[in-house]
Amino acid sequence: MRADLADAHGASLAHVAHPGARFEAMRRCAIARAAQAAYLQRDPAPPWARPYDDPALDVAHRLGRHAGTITQAWYRQVVETELEPLDWVEVVGIVVAVISPVAFARAAGLALPELPQPARGDPTGHVAVELADAALNWVPVAAPADARASVVQALSALPDEDANLWRLAATQYMSDAQMSDPAWNRGTLSRPQMELVAGRLSLLRQCFF
Amino acid sequence: MLSWSSTKAGGPADLGAIVDGSGDGGLPHGAELVAFAEAIAGWDDDQLDRARARLAAVAGEAFMVDAAAVAANFEMMTRVADGTGARFPAEASTFRADLDQQLGIGGFTSNH
Repeated sequence: MRADLADAHGASLAHVAHPGARFEAMRRCAIARAAQAAYLQRDPAPPWARPYDDPALDVAHRLGRHAGTITQAWYRQVVETELEPLDWVEVVGIVVAVISPVAFARAAGLALPELPQPARGDPTGHVAVELADAALNWVPVAAPADARASVVQALSALPDEDANLWRLAATQYMSDAQMSDPAWNRGTLSRPQMELVAGRLSLLRQCFF
Repeated sequence: MLSWSSTKAGGPADLGAIVDGSGDGGLPHGAELVAFAEAIAGWDDDQLDRARARLAAVAGEAFMVDAAAVAANFEMMTRVADGTGARFPAEASTFRADLDQQLGIGGFTSNH
């Protein structure tokens, strides 16, 4: 097993179990458990269901299992009546922080990881210095908006979620610097083989991006 | 991304392996990689066990682990894109229209 993967996944789960910008750690762990349950269930609640009657957990459920069904209209509905836009961004950050290690363990045939005990403490309030509305994303991003690709700026409003995301990406896939070299690989899968896995999985998840 | 990277690496890939899971994409262990990705995308644990074992048998354990890591990454990135409404800039529209047609993904909910 690659030690860098174990380290990145352990750090990601520890990140979930610490206070975020908007939520306390116990709340973050509940959001993560909702996403994990949705991801692993054989017969989950359908996309339109609100199984928790709790907006953050319901968003985590839908993102965990039915991400390709999320529409801008639903995002608008939720952030106009139930969650602040930055709450939504943090839910996305938590979901991807837990789905990565869980998905890897399931795929590789390993025991599913456990979340650490939630740490005490208030939300950190750590938000980008300046926020901006983006044309390339629904969610607010760090200013200046749209200076970077949409997936790159996606979580930039919350620097701690953003940092965790790109730590995971660099370990599971490749770093920005490695991406610019199409011949780069880890000595196992070639770049085309990596893109074959990425492309087929993304298509089956109905993610047009 | 598949077409770009595989062309740079010396051989344009067959998008059919991505679109409908057929063939091997013109790549070594391509059929086993597609079967592994499909099993990860589904929820049949027995199918996943078989696909994982087959990939490890033909390509090695380290290869399978790295493929699992790539899959985990795209379980993550698809949710980042779908959860934040990620879009391509207008200047990419012509390129995207061609690719969307080849992949048959223009009708996805996430594209609206």
